[in-house]
Amino acid sequence: MDSKQIMINYTHRQAGHCESGATSNLFNFYGQKMSEPMAFGIGTGIYFSYLPFLKLQFAPMMSFRNLPNTVFHRSMKYLGVDATVIKKFSNVKESMEALDRNLEKGIPTGLQVGVFNLTFFPPEYRMHYNMHNMVVFGKEGNHYHVSDTVMEHPQTITYDDLVRVRWAKGPFAPKGKMYWINNVPKELDIRTGVQLGIKKSVYEMTKVPFWLIGIKGMRVMARDIKKWPKKHGNQKAAFYLGQILRMAEDFGTGGAGFRYIFGSFLKESGETFNNKEILDAADLMGRTANKWREFTYLGARNCKNRSSQPVEDYGTLGDMMMEIAGMEEQVFKQIGKVKI
Amino acid sequence: MENSTENTNPVYKDKNYGQYRELLFTYDEKGNFQKSVGYHGESDRVVLQQAWDLFSERIEEARQKVLAGKASPIVYYMEKILADPMSLSMMAGVSLLKIKLHCRPVFFKRLSDKTMAKYAEAFNITIDQLKKVE
Repeated sequence: MDSKQIMINYTHRQAGHCESGATSNLFNFYGQKMSEPMAFGIGTGIYFSYLPFLKLQFAPMMSFRNLPNTVFHRSMKYLGVDATVIKKFSNVKESMEALDRNLEKGIPTGLQVGVFNLTFFPPEYRMHYNMHNMVVFGKEGNHYHVSDTVMEHPQTITYDDLVRVRWAKGPFAPKGKMYWINNVPKELDIRTGVQLGIKKSVYEMTKVPFWLIGIKGMRVMARDIKKWPKKHGNQKAAFYLGQILRMAEDFGTGGAGFRYIFGSFLKESGETFNNKEILDAADLMGRTANKWREFTYLGARNCKNRSSQPVEDYGTLGDMMMEIAGMEEQVFKQIGKVKI
Repeated sequence: MENSTENTNPVYKDKNYGQYRELLFTYDEKGNFQKSVGYHGESDRVVLQQAWDLFSERIEEARQKVLAGKASPIVYYMEKILADPMSLSMMAGVSLLKIKLHCRPVFFKRLSDKTMAKYAEAFNITIDQLKKVE
Protein backbone atom coordinates (compact mmCIF):
# COMPACT_ATOMS: atom_id res chain seq x y z
CA MET A 1 0.00 0.00 0.00
CA ASP A 2 1.38 3.40 -0.94
CA SER A 3 1.39 6.18 1.60
CA LYS A 4 0.37 8.84 -0.89
CA GLN A 5 -2.00 11.43 0.45
CA ILE A 6 -5.12 12.20 -1.54
CA MET A 7 -7.66 14.75 -0.39
CA ILE A 8 -10.52 15.90 -2.57
CA ASN A 9 -12.00 19.29 -1.80
CA TYR A 10 -15.42 17.93 -0.85
CA THR A 11 -17.86 19.77 1.39
CA HIS A 12 -19.51 17.68 4.03
CA ARG A 13 -22.99 18.70 5.13
CA GLN A 14 -25.20 16.89 7.58
CA ALA A 15 -28.48 15.54 6.24
CA GLY A 16 -31.56 13.71 7.42
CA HIS A 17 -31.45 10.82 4.99
CA CYS A 18 -28.17 9.07 4.21
CA GLU A 19 -28.59 8.51 0.50
CA SER A 20 -30.25 11.76 -0.55
CA GLY A 21 -27.72 13.59 1.59
CA ALA A 22 -24.88 11.89 -0.28
CA THR A 23 -26.56 12.61 -3.62
CA SER A 24 -27.09 16.30 -2.90
CA ASN A 25 -23.53 16.65 -1.59
CA LEU A 26 -22.20 15.06 -4.78
CA PHE A 27 -24.29 17.46 -6.89
CA ASN A 28 -22.90 20.38 -4.95
CA PHE A 29 -19.37 19.10 -5.49
CA TYR A 30 -19.95 19.33 -9.26
CA GLY A 31 -21.18 22.90 -8.96
CA GLN A 32 -24.95 22.40 -9.08
CA LYS A 33 -26.98 23.83 -6.23
CA MET A 34 -29.20 21.01 -5.01
CA SER A 35 -30.75 20.86 -1.57
CA GLU A 36 -31.24 17.58 0.22
CA PRO A 37 -35.08 17.56 0.04
CA MET A 38 -34.90 18.24 -3.70
CA ALA A 39 -32.65 15.21 -4.28
CA PHE A 40 -34.89 13.17 -2.01
CA GLY A 41 -38.07 14.11 -3.89
CA ILE A 42 -36.70 13.70 -7.39
CA GLY A 43 -35.18 10.36 -6.45
CA THR A 44 -38.55 9.24 -4.93
CA GLY A 45 -37.16 8.47 -1.51
CA ILE A 46 -40.60 8.35 0.08
CA TYR A 47 -41.95 4.87 0.52
CA PHE A 48 -43.74 2.56 2.85
CA SER A 49 -43.84 -1.19 3.09
CA TYR A 50 -44.93 -3.53 5.85
CA LEU A 51 -43.69 -7.10 5.73
CA PRO A 52 -44.91 -8.93 8.85
CA PHE A 53 -43.73 -12.33 7.65
CA LEU A 54 -40.09 -11.15 7.67
CA LYS A 55 -38.47 -10.43 11.00
CA LEU A 56 -35.85 -7.74 11.53
CA GLN A 57 -34.27 -7.73 15.01
CA PHE A 58 -37.08 -10.05 16.21
CA ALA A 59 -39.97 -7.78 15.18
CA PRO A 60 -42.01 -7.42 11.96
CA MET A 61 -40.12 -5.63 9.25
CA MET A 62 -41.29 -2.32 7.88
CA SER A 63 -39.48 0.14 5.73
CA PHE A 64 -39.88 3.86 5.28
CA ARG A 65 -37.31 4.03 2.51
CA ASN A 66 -36.90 2.64 -0.94
CA LEU A 67 -34.49 -0.13 -1.91
CA PRO A 68 -30.82 0.87 -1.67
CA ASN A 69 -29.47 3.08 -4.45
CA THR A 70 -32.93 4.05 -5.74
CA VAL A 71 -32.56 7.71 -4.77
CA PHE A 72 -29.19 8.11 -6.46
CA HIS A 73 -30.08 6.13 -9.56
CA ARG A 74 -33.47 7.77 -10.16
CA SER A 75 -32.34 11.32 -9.53
CA MET A 76 -29.52 10.82 -12.04
CA LYS A 77 -31.86 9.29 -14.58
CA TYR A 78 -34.60 11.91 -14.24
CA LEU A 79 -32.16 14.82 -14.44
CA GLY A 80 -30.17 13.33 -17.31
CA VAL A 81 -26.83 13.13 -15.52
CA ASP A 82 -24.08 10.75 -16.59
CA ALA A 83 -23.33 8.50 -13.62
CA THR A 84 -21.95 5.04 -13.00
CA VAL A 85 -23.20 2.42 -10.56
CA ILE A 86 -21.27 -0.79 -9.99
CA LYS A 87 -23.75 -3.17 -8.42
CA LYS A 88 -21.37 -5.76 -7.11
CA PHE A 89 -17.76 -6.88 -7.21
CA SER A 90 -16.54 -10.43 -7.42
CA ASN A 91 -13.89 -10.06 -4.72
CA VAL A 92 -12.64 -7.76 -1.99
CA LYS A 93 -9.33 -6.74 -3.57
CA GLU A 94 -10.92 -5.64 -6.83
CA SER A 95 -13.47 -3.48 -5.01
CA MET A 96 -10.81 -1.65 -2.99
CA GLU A 97 -8.59 -1.13 -6.05
CA ALA A 98 -11.51 0.37 -7.95
CA LEU A 99 -12.08 2.77 -5.05
CA ASP A 100 -8.38 3.78 -4.99
CA ARG A 101 -8.36 4.38 -8.74
CA ASN A 102 -11.38 6.66 -8.40
CA LEU A 103 -9.77 8.64 -5.60
CA GLU A 104 -6.61 9.09 -7.65
CA LYS A 105 -8.69 10.55 -10.47
CA GLY A 106 -10.28 12.93 -7.97
CA ILE A 107 -13.78 11.48 -8.00
CA PRO A 108 -15.63 11.35 -4.66
CA THR A 109 -17.25 7.93 -4.57
CA GLY A 110 -20.41 6.77 -2.82
CA LEU A 111 -20.54 3.40 -1.10
CA GLN A 112 -23.26 1.20 0.26
CA VAL A 113 -22.22 -0.17 3.65
CA GLY A 114 -23.51 -2.15 6.60
CA VAL A 115 -23.89 -0.30 9.88
CA PHE A 116 -23.10 -3.01 12.44
CA ASN A 117 -19.30 -2.79 12.24
CA LEU A 118 -19.00 0.89 11.34
CA THR A 119 -16.53 2.16 13.93
CA PHE A 120 -17.42 5.83 14.08
CA PHE A 121 -21.19 5.34 14.06
CA PRO A 122 -23.23 6.19 17.19
CA PRO A 123 -23.25 2.95 19.21
CA GLU A 124 -26.97 3.05 19.93
CA TYR A 125 -27.77 2.62 16.23
CA ARG A 126 -25.40 -0.28 15.52
CA MET A 127 -27.81 -2.95 14.38
CA HIS A 128 -27.85 -5.11 11.29
CA TYR A 129 -28.83 -2.60 8.68
CA ASN A 130 -27.09 -2.92 5.33
CA MET A 131 -28.57 -0.03 3.39
CA HIS A 132 -26.49 2.83 4.73
CA ASN A 133 -24.65 5.16 2.35
CA MET A 134 -21.53 7.27 2.67
CA VAL A 135 -19.06 9.06 0.43
CA VAL A 136 -15.29 8.48 0.43
CA PHE A 137 -13.32 11.57 -0.54
CA GLY A 138 -9.74 11.08 0.62
CA LYS A 139 -7.02 8.66 1.56
CA GLU A 140 -4.04 9.04 3.85
CA GLY A 141 -1.82 5.98 4.27
CA ASN A 142 -4.01 3.32 5.78
CA HIS A 143 -6.91 5.67 6.52
CA TYR A 144 -9.82 6.78 4.37
CA HIS A 145 -11.64 10.06 4.81
CA VAL A 146 -15.37 9.50 4.84
CA SER A 147 -18.36 11.82 4.72
CA ASP A 148 -21.28 10.19 6.50
CA THR A 149 -24.32 12.47 6.53
CA VAL A 150 -25.61 11.13 9.83
CA MET A 151 -22.53 12.52 11.55
CA GLU A 152 -21.89 16.20 12.16
CA HIS A 153 -18.30 16.15 10.84
CA PRO A 154 -16.27 14.08 8.33
CA GLN A 155 -14.76 10.91 9.77
CA THR A 156 -11.83 8.57 9.13
CA ILE A 157 -11.87 4.79 8.86
CA THR A 158 -9.08 2.23 8.46
CA TYR A 159 -8.66 -0.03 5.42
CA ASP A 160 -9.64 -3.22 7.27
CA ASP A 161 -12.75 -1.68 8.79
CA LEU A 162 -13.79 -0.30 5.44
CA VAL A 163 -13.48 -3.77 3.89
CA ARG A 164 -15.58 -5.17 6.70
CA VAL A 165 -18.45 -2.75 6.26
CA ARG A 166 -18.38 -2.86 2.48
CA TRP A 167 -18.62 -6.64 2.56
CA ALA A 168 -21.13 -6.86 5.40
CA LYS A 169 -23.27 -9.97 5.12
CA GLY A 170 -26.91 -10.68 5.76
CA PRO A 171 -30.08 -9.42 4.07
CA PHE A 172 -29.47 -6.74 1.40
CA ALA A 173 -25.72 -7.36 1.49
CA PRO A 174 -23.89 -4.45 -0.20
CA LYS A 175 -21.26 -6.66 -1.91
CA GLY A 176 -19.00 -3.65 -2.39
CA LYS A 177 -21.53 -1.55 -4.29
CA MET A 178 -20.21 1.85 -5.33
CA TYR A 179 -21.42 4.78 -7.40
CA TRP A 180 -20.18 8.12 -8.67
CA ILE A 181 -21.03 10.97 -11.03
CA ASN A 182 -19.09 11.24 -14.29
CA ASN A 183 -20.36 14.42 -15.79
CA VAL A 184 -23.02 16.98 -14.90
CA PRO A 185 -24.62 19.13 -17.62
CA LYS A 186 -24.42 22.90 -17.10
CA GLU A 187 -28.19 23.41 -17.00
CA LEU A 188 -30.23 20.87 -15.08
CA ASP A 189 -33.84 20.39 -16.15
CA ILE A 190 -35.32 20.56 -12.66
CA ARG A 191 -38.89 20.89 -13.94
CA THR A 192 -38.89 17.54 -15.73
CA GLY A 193 -37.10 15.95 -12.79
CA VAL A 194 -39.75 17.13 -10.33
CA GLN A 195 -42.56 16.01 -12.65
CA LEU A 196 -41.12 12.53 -13.04
CA GLY A 197 -40.26 12.26 -9.36
CA ILE A 198 -43.75 13.21 -8.23
CA LYS A 199 -45.33 10.83 -10.76
CA LYS A 200 -43.23 7.91 -9.55
CA SER A 201 -43.83 8.72 -5.86
CA VAL A 202 -47.58 8.82 -6.44
CA TYR A 203 -47.40 5.47 -8.21
CA GLU A 204 -45.35 3.85 -5.46
CA MET A 205 -47.45 5.14 -2.60
CA THR A 206 -50.94 4.59 -3.99
CA LYS A 207 -51.02 2.44 -7.10
CA VAL A 208 -48.68 -0.52 -6.65
CA PRO A 209 -50.89 -3.62 -7.04
CA PHE A 210 -49.70 -5.27 -3.83
CA TRP A 211 -51.51 -4.93 -0.50
CA LEU A 212 -48.48 -4.36 1.73
CA ILE A 213 -46.85 -1.47 -0.12
CA GLY A 214 -47.74 2.21 0.17
CA ILE A 215 -50.94 3.52 1.76
CA LYS A 216 -52.51 0.05 1.62
CA GLY A 217 -49.64 -1.32 3.70
CA MET A 218 -50.20 1.42 6.28
CA ARG A 219 -53.84 0.40 6.56
CA VAL A 220 -52.90 -3.27 7.01
CA MET A 221 -50.45 -2.26 9.73
CA ALA A 222 -53.10 -0.14 11.46
CA ARG A 223 -55.39 -3.17 11.61
CA ASP A 224 -52.56 -5.36 12.91
CA ILE A 225 -51.67 -2.91 15.69
CA LYS A 226 -55.13 -3.40 17.17
CA LYS A 227 -54.69 -7.18 17.18
CA TRP A 228 -51.20 -7.32 18.71
CA PRO A 229 -52.01 -7.24 22.47
CA LYS A 230 -54.50 -10.10 22.17
CA LYS A 231 -52.35 -12.12 19.82
CA HIS A 232 -48.88 -11.74 21.38
CA GLY A 233 -49.42 -10.32 24.89
CA ASN A 234 -48.57 -6.86 26.18
CA GLN A 235 -44.82 -7.28 26.31
CA LYS A 236 -44.38 -8.37 22.73
CA ALA A 237 -46.93 -5.86 21.47
CA ALA A 238 -44.95 -3.05 23.09
CA PHE A 239 -41.78 -4.27 21.40
CA TYR A 240 -43.47 -4.54 18.02
CA LEU A 241 -44.84 -1.03 18.44
CA GLY A 242 -41.35 0.09 19.41
CA GLN A 243 -40.05 -1.24 16.09
CA ILE A 244 -42.41 1.03 14.16
CA LEU A 245 -41.37 4.03 16.22
CA ARG A 246 -37.68 3.23 15.96
CA MET A 247 -37.89 2.85 12.21
CA ALA A 248 -39.86 6.08 11.86
CA GLU A 249 -37.90 8.31 14.22
CA ASP A 250 -34.50 7.06 15.17
CA PHE A 251 -32.69 5.53 12.24
CA GLY A 252 -31.24 8.59 10.57
CA THR A 253 -34.53 9.85 9.24
CA GLY A 254 -34.73 13.48 10.28
CA GLY A 255 -38.01 12.48 11.88
CA ALA A 256 -41.39 10.97 11.06
CA GLY A 257 -40.18 8.48 8.48
CA PHE A 258 -38.90 11.11 5.98
CA ARG A 259 -42.29 12.86 5.83
CA TYR A 260 -40.72 16.17 6.84
CA ILE A 261 -38.14 15.91 4.07
CA PHE A 262 -40.78 15.10 1.47
CA GLY A 263 -42.89 17.99 2.72
CA SER A 264 -40.04 20.44 2.33
CA PHE A 265 -39.40 19.06 -1.16
CA LEU A 266 -43.02 19.86 -2.05
CA LYS A 267 -42.70 23.31 -0.53
CA GLU A 268 -39.47 24.07 -2.36
CA SER A 269 -40.78 22.93 -5.73
CA GLY A 270 -44.07 24.77 -5.16
CA GLU A 271 -42.16 27.98 -4.52
CA THR A 272 -39.85 27.47 -7.50
CA PHE A 273 -42.67 26.90 -9.99
CA ASN A 274 -45.21 29.15 -8.23
CA ASN A 275 -47.80 26.43 -7.88
CA LYS A 276 -50.51 26.93 -5.26
CA GLU A 277 -51.77 23.34 -5.27
CA ILE A 278 -48.37 21.87 -4.47
CA LEU A 279 -47.93 24.39 -1.65
CA ASP A 280 -51.24 23.23 -0.19
CA ALA A 281 -50.10 19.63 -0.45
CA ALA A 282 -46.86 20.59 1.31
CA ASP A 283 -48.85 22.07 4.18
CA LEU A 284 -50.89 18.89 4.48
CA MET A 285 -47.72 16.77 4.39
CA GLY A 286 -46.25 18.87 7.19
CA ARG A 287 -49.35 18.34 9.30
CA THR A 288 -49.21 14.59 8.55
CA ALA A 289 -45.62 14.54 9.73
CA ASN A 290 -46.62 16.28 12.95
CA LYS A 291 -49.28 13.60 13.37
CA TRP A 292 -46.55 10.96 13.07
CA ARG A 293 -44.67 12.74 15.86
CA GLU A 294 -47.80 12.65 18.00
CA PHE A 295 -48.12 8.93 17.27
CA THR A 296 -44.54 8.42 18.47
CA TYR A 297 -45.21 10.42 21.58
CA LEU A 298 -48.26 8.35 22.51
CA GLY A 299 -46.70 5.05 21.49
CA ALA A 300 -43.56 5.62 23.54
CA ARG A 301 -45.65 5.79 26.70
CA ASN A 302 -46.65 2.18 26.07
CA CYS A 303 -43.04 1.20 25.55
CA LYS A 304 -41.84 2.67 28.82
CA ASN A 305 -43.36 -0.02 31.01
CA ARG A 306 -43.57 -3.06 28.84
CA SER A 307 -44.92 -5.65 31.23
CA SER A 308 -47.63 -3.61 32.89
CA GLN A 309 -51.01 -2.71 31.47
CA PRO A 310 -50.62 -0.42 28.42
CA VAL A 311 -51.15 3.28 29.11
CA GLU A 312 -52.58 3.99 25.68
CA ASP A 313 -55.14 1.72 24.13
CA TYR A 314 -53.86 -0.10 21.05
CA GLY A 315 -57.23 0.52 19.42
CA THR A 316 -56.65 4.28 19.64
CA LEU A 317 -53.17 3.92 18.16
CA GLY A 318 -54.56 1.82 15.31
CA ASP A 319 -57.21 4.44 14.59
CA MET A 320 -54.55 7.14 14.60
CA MET A 321 -52.47 5.16 12.08
CA MET A 322 -55.61 4.83 9.93
CA GLU A 323 -56.07 8.61 10.07
CA ILE A 324 -52.44 9.18 9.05
CA ALA A 325 -52.92 6.82 6.11
CA GLY A 326 -56.01 8.79 5.06
CA MET A 327 -54.13 12.10 5.23
CA GLU A 328 -51.24 10.77 3.18
CA GLU A 329 -53.59 9.38 0.57
CA GLN A 330 -55.12 12.84 0.24
CA VAL A 331 -51.66 14.36 -0.31
CA PHE A 332 -50.76 11.93 -3.05
CA LYS A 333 -54.15 12.27 -4.72
CA GLN A 334 -53.68 16.02 -4.77
CA ILE A 335 -50.17 16.05 -6.21
CA GLY A 336 -51.08 13.31 -8.69
CA LYS A 337 -53.46 15.70 -10.47
CA VAL A 338 -51.14 18.72 -10.58
CA LYS A 339 -49.50 19.76 -13.83
CA ILE A 340 -46.33 21.79 -13.40
CA MET B 1 -41.36 17.41 20.75
CA GLU B 2 -38.39 18.90 22.53
CA ASN B 3 -35.17 18.96 20.53
CA SER B 4 -32.89 20.41 23.13
CA THR B 5 -29.32 21.18 22.14
CA GLU B 6 -28.10 20.29 25.61
CA ASN B 7 -27.55 16.58 25.99
CA THR B 8 -28.50 15.44 29.43
CA ASN B 9 -28.83 11.80 28.36
CA PRO B 10 -31.71 11.03 30.72
CA VAL B 11 -32.91 7.73 29.34
CA TYR B 12 -29.98 5.67 28.04
CA LYS B 13 -28.36 3.35 30.54
CA ASP B 14 -25.08 3.17 28.61
CA LYS B 15 -23.09 6.39 28.92
CA ASN B 16 -21.71 6.13 25.38
CA TYR B 17 -25.18 6.37 23.92
CA GLY B 18 -26.71 9.59 22.70
CA GLN B 19 -23.47 11.54 22.37
CA TYR B 20 -23.89 12.55 18.72
CA ARG B 21 -25.96 15.43 17.40
CA GLU B 22 -28.20 14.82 14.42
CA LEU B 23 -30.17 16.86 11.94
CA LEU B 24 -33.82 17.05 12.92
CA PHE B 25 -36.76 18.49 11.04
CA THR B 26 -39.86 20.17 12.39
CA TYR B 27 -42.96 21.80 10.90
CA ASP B 28 -44.29 24.88 12.64
CA GLU B 29 -47.73 26.50 12.58
CA LYS B 30 -46.68 29.21 10.13
CA GLY B 31 -46.07 26.57 7.48
CA ASN B 32 -42.29 26.44 7.49
CA PHE B 33 -40.11 23.36 7.61
CA GLN B 34 -37.32 23.99 10.08
CA LYS B 35 -34.00 22.23 10.31
CA SER B 36 -32.07 22.04 13.54
CA VAL B 37 -29.05 20.16 14.80
CA GLY B 38 -29.70 18.56 18.16
CA TYR B 39 -30.41 15.48 20.19
CA HIS B 40 -33.42 13.24 20.00
CA GLY B 41 -36.35 13.84 22.30
CA GLU B 42 -37.26 11.64 25.21
CA SER B 43 -39.83 9.43 23.51
CA ASP B 44 -37.38 8.47 20.75
CA ARG B 45 -34.85 7.47 23.38
CA VAL B 46 -37.36 5.38 25.29
CA VAL B 47 -38.09 3.14 22.31
CA LEU B 48 -34.40 2.70 21.51
CA GLN B 49 -33.52 1.86 25.11
CA GLN B 50 -36.40 -0.62 25.17
CA ALA B 51 -34.89 -2.46 22.20
CA TRP B 52 -31.44 -2.60 23.80
CA ASP B 53 -32.99 -3.85 27.05
CA LEU B 54 -34.58 -6.70 25.18
CA PHE B 55 -31.34 -7.57 23.38
CA SER B 56 -29.31 -7.66 26.60
CA GLU B 57 -32.00 -9.78 28.25
CA ARG B 58 -31.78 -12.26 25.39
CA ILE B 59 -27.98 -12.35 25.56
CA GLU B 60 -28.04 -13.02 29.31
CA GLU B 61 -30.66 -15.75 28.86
CA ALA B 62 -28.56 -17.43 26.19
CA ARG B 63 -25.44 -17.21 28.40
CA GLN B 64 -27.21 -18.95 31.26
CA LYS B 65 -28.41 -21.66 28.90
CA VAL B 66 -24.90 -22.29 27.60
CA LEU B 67 -23.38 -22.37 31.09
CA ALA B 68 -26.03 -24.89 32.14
CA GLY B 69 -25.01 -27.07 29.20
CA LYS B 70 -28.37 -26.89 27.45
CA ALA B 71 -27.10 -25.09 24.35
CA SER B 72 -23.86 -24.63 22.46
CA PRO B 73 -21.81 -21.37 22.51
CA ILE B 74 -23.13 -20.60 19.03
CA VAL B 75 -26.45 -19.60 20.59
CA TYR B 76 -24.72 -17.09 22.87
CA TYR B 77 -22.57 -15.52 20.16
CA MET B 78 -25.53 -15.41 17.79
CA GLU B 79 -27.53 -13.39 20.29
CA LYS B 80 -24.50 -11.23 20.96
CA ILE B 81 -24.34 -10.02 17.35
CA LEU B 82 -28.15 -9.56 17.35
CA ALA B 83 -28.71 -12.24 14.75
CA ASP B 84 -31.36 -14.92 14.40
CA PRO B 85 -30.67 -18.33 12.79
CA MET B 86 -31.89 -17.04 9.43
CA SER B 87 -29.54 -14.05 9.23
CA LEU B 88 -26.69 -16.06 10.76
CA SER B 89 -27.01 -18.59 7.95
CA MET B 90 -26.58 -15.70 5.50
CA MET B 91 -23.59 -14.31 7.39
CA ALA B 92 -21.71 -17.55 7.97
CA GLY B 93 -22.73 -19.41 4.84
CA VAL B 94 -24.03 -22.44 6.72
CA SER B 95 -27.48 -23.81 5.98
CA LEU B 96 -30.34 -23.08 8.36
CA LEU B 97 -30.92 -26.72 9.25
CA LYS B 98 -27.27 -27.24 10.13
CA ILE B 99 -27.26 -24.14 12.33
CA LYS B 100 -30.22 -25.46 14.26
CA LEU B 101 -28.34 -28.72 14.83
CA HIS B 102 -25.13 -26.93 15.81
CA CYS B 103 -27.01 -25.06 18.51
CA ARG B 104 -27.09 -28.32 20.48
CA PRO B 105 -23.95 -29.21 22.45
CA VAL B 106 -23.82 -32.77 21.08
CA PHE B 107 -23.47 -31.66 17.48
CA PHE B 108 -21.25 -28.71 18.38
CA LYS B 109 -18.58 -31.06 19.78
CA ARG B 110 -18.35 -32.87 16.45
CA LEU B 111 -17.80 -29.73 14.35
CA SER B 112 -14.87 -29.67 11.96
CA ASP B 113 -12.29 -26.86 12.03
CA LYS B 114 -13.50 -25.63 8.67
CA THR B 115 -17.04 -25.00 9.89
CA MET B 116 -15.71 -23.55 13.14
CA ALA B 117 -13.69 -21.05 11.13
CA LYS B 118 -16.82 -20.04 9.23
CA TYR B 119 -18.66 -19.30 12.46
CA ALA B 120 -15.65 -17.56 13.99
CA GLU B 121 -15.39 -15.23 11.02
CA ALA B 122 -19.08 -14.35 11.19
CA PHE B 123 -18.80 -13.57 14.92
CA ASN B 124 -15.49 -11.72 14.44
CA ILE B 125 -13.67 -13.81 17.09
CA THR B 126 -11.04 -16.58 17.18
CA ILE B 127 -11.85 -20.31 17.22
CA ASP B 128 -10.58 -20.68 20.79
CA GLN B 129 -12.95 -17.98 21.94
CA LEU B 130 -15.81 -19.68 20.14
CA LYS B 131 -15.32 -22.92 22.08
CA LYS B 132 -16.18 -21.38 25.44
CA VAL B 133 -18.33 -18.68 26.97
CA GLU B 134 -16.87 -16.30 29.49
